Amino acid sequence: MNVDRARLDRALNPRTVVVVGDKGPNYQWLSNLSEFEGQVYSVQLDEKEIPGIVEKGIENFQSLTEIPGEVDLVVCAVPRQVTPYIVADAVKKGVGGVAMFTSGFVETGEELGRQLQDKIVGMAREGGLPLVGPNCMGVYNRRLGVKFGQGQDKAAEGERGDLSIISQSGTHGISLTAGAQVLGIHVTRTISIGNAAVLNEADYLEYLRDDPDTPAIVMYLEGVRDGRRFARLLREVTRQKPVVIWRGGRTGAGAKAAASHTASLASDDAVWDALLRQAGAISADSQEEALDVAQALVRLPRTDKQNLALIAMTGGQSVAITDQFAKAGFEVPELSQKSYDRLSEFFVTIGGSYRNPFDAASTIGRETDNLAKILDILADDPVIEGVAVEMQARDFEKGTERLDGMIDVLRAYRERTGQPIVAILPEGGFGAATPGILADARVHVGKAGFAVYPSFARAAIAFGRARRFWAWRTEVGA
Amino acid sequence: MADVIASARAEGRTLLNEVESKQLLAEAGIPVALAHLARTADEAVQVSDGLGYPVVMKIVSPDIAHKSDVGGVAVGLADADAVRAAHADMLARVAEAAPSARIEGVAVQAMAPQGTEVIVGATTDPQFGPVMMFGLGGVFVEVLKDVAFRIVPLEARDAHQMVHEIKGLPILQGVRGQAPADIAALEALILSVSEFVAAHPEVAELDLNPVFAYAEGVLAVDARIVLTDVAEMAAAGEAR
Repeated sequence: MNVDRARLDRALNPRTVVVVGDKGPNYQWLSNLSEFEGQVYSVQLDEKEIPGIVEKGIENFQSLTEIPGEVDLVVCAVPRQVTPYIVADAVKKGVGGVAMFTSGFVETGEELGRQLQDKIVGMAREGGLPLVGPNCMGVYNRRLGVKFGQGQDKAAEGERGDLSIISQSGTHGISLTAGAQVLGIHVTRTISIGNAAVLNEADYLEYLRDDPDTPAIVMYLEGVRDGRRFARLLREVTRQKPVVIWRGGRTGAGAKAAASHTASLASDDAVWDALLRQAGAISADSQEEALDVAQALVRLPRTDKQNLALIAMTGGQSVAITDQFAKAGFEVPELSQKSYDRLSEFFVTIGGSYRNPFDAASTIGRETDNLAKILDILADDPVIEGVAVEMQARDFEKGTERLDGMIDVLRAYRERTGQPIVAILPEGGFGAATPGILADARVHVGKAGFAVYPSFARAAIAFGRARRFWAWRTEVGA
Repeated sequence: MADVIASARAEGRTLLNEVESKQLLAEAGIPVALAHLARTADEAVQVSDGLGYPVVMKIVSPDIAHKSDVGGVAVGLADADAVRAAHADMLARVAEAAPSARIEGVAVQAMAPQGTEVIVGATTDPQFGPVMMFGLGGVFVEVLKDVAFRIVPLEARDAHQMVHEIKGLPILQGVRGQAPADIAALEALILSVSEFVAAHPEVAELDLNPVFAYAEGVLAVDARIVLTDVAEMAAAGEAR
């Protein structure tokens, strides 16, 4: 649809939100708005439900059209057969947009569902009404506290966003948001697009392209409604901000019977892969992969450099970390003689090594100062362009001081050099912390603003993808 | 261009024969070994005399998609007698293998020197529209599916990447003392075919298979174009 940008802007950044059809005992939609900065109203005709709404201090109306003043966003949770009446009122009222949670439309495969969807889509288009969904969780706006799930963060005053999410699946929208948040990544907005019947993935992508508080975009898609426009737009957006696409439903379908070889080989997968390569979008096969690379994109500086110093705790780990980063396209160069001379002054070489990669537990295992010394030397060495370091969760259950000390050292390196620095707290790594403690420690490092991973492989793959993205940007002159 | 397509449409065909396909491509400046339709053995000899020997002869039928499967290809025909003999043999073989196929005649072309075989193709993806494909020919495309795709329109860097991302690239770069193939000409070919399909939405599928890549230059020795179904196109137009 021809999107009225100003109107969509109101819907996605509302000052007034109306929930239509929320129900007790939980009143999930009204509860999701408990931290919302603006005005919340309710529309509910069911006498049984109204007292619970009023008890929450929310004014209830009989119809959208009775509400005083402008309405920016309508959250619609009515039964499907009622939706045409709500859309009609929304058009009449001139609301900014509607987020339609209601399901039971084309996704059911039923004739009634399809007819109902056609009906509300026709009404929305005719009325120029931006409709999100149906069959979706709607919109999350971190700055304003508009949420579609408990546990979604609200921004503190003046906080900037790191990325925004577009998800065809409500569940993945929620879990991508939660997964990013837990590591301290600020998700500016998440849009759960559902059936994408009026606004489609290209409309949202276009919106996020122009959203100054969205430096990076993560999408979960199963298909697209307007492939040609999406392809054109994607090529443009990636030149302005990174786009990660996790595509679900890769069935491997293809091998169509066709008169030409080309048509018989052009499977859905092959064409998608081609699009992502061509557009410079970053492909992810799972939620972990999507969030891993998102971390690398938002936590690491833009760099296409390859020469890394790798710091592992043991000899075996120093081999493993090198294998993974080499496979991901990085170099692990020799340091300068001057660096070796300085390292030799304090480095414990019995059971350790300072030849890049570092085998460093005996030197830094209990001594954060020594990590600082190593990083100082690396910062002075012109050959090194980034660092990946294995960290330990030792004693983390007793307190955060030790880990905080290491984080300070990493931060000092980052500030001094402007280089990427990646932290890895591997499962079963040196120090033998339990998985729960390791996970908590990772969250701690993530919240401190670092890209942090549970394995060398995941760190290397994510960092490698981010690096290739920036190299591509340099190549295309963007 | 319009003539070939219009006459195919008038006959209710979506498959252009080799002669027609090559004519369209040649008009667009794409390097093809032009083929000439001969309806009789006499015509085939006449065309061959004009081209110079040796020649290649292929069956032309709207009902036959894979010519070699029905004995519809003869190569290295050295003189007029060979052309006559091959013509008679071919019609007999095809009549046996595909008795119901309508035969328009044979396509005769000058026999091109052997080059490294590659395939350049285009198809229409239901979501993303026209898509280009590149790969090494023969077993590489048939069995290993070692091909690269890009969505039209292509930039020069896309064509470059397509050629360079296939696993068989070293074969093009020259192995075992073979001269390297003209990769720049391959990239230019991919780009001109991409422009051709972008300019002609009525082309649904296109195979240049094989294309011979030489040390200098490239030549499409076989070509097939499938047009969009007019009824489908009209339906798509209405939906939009």
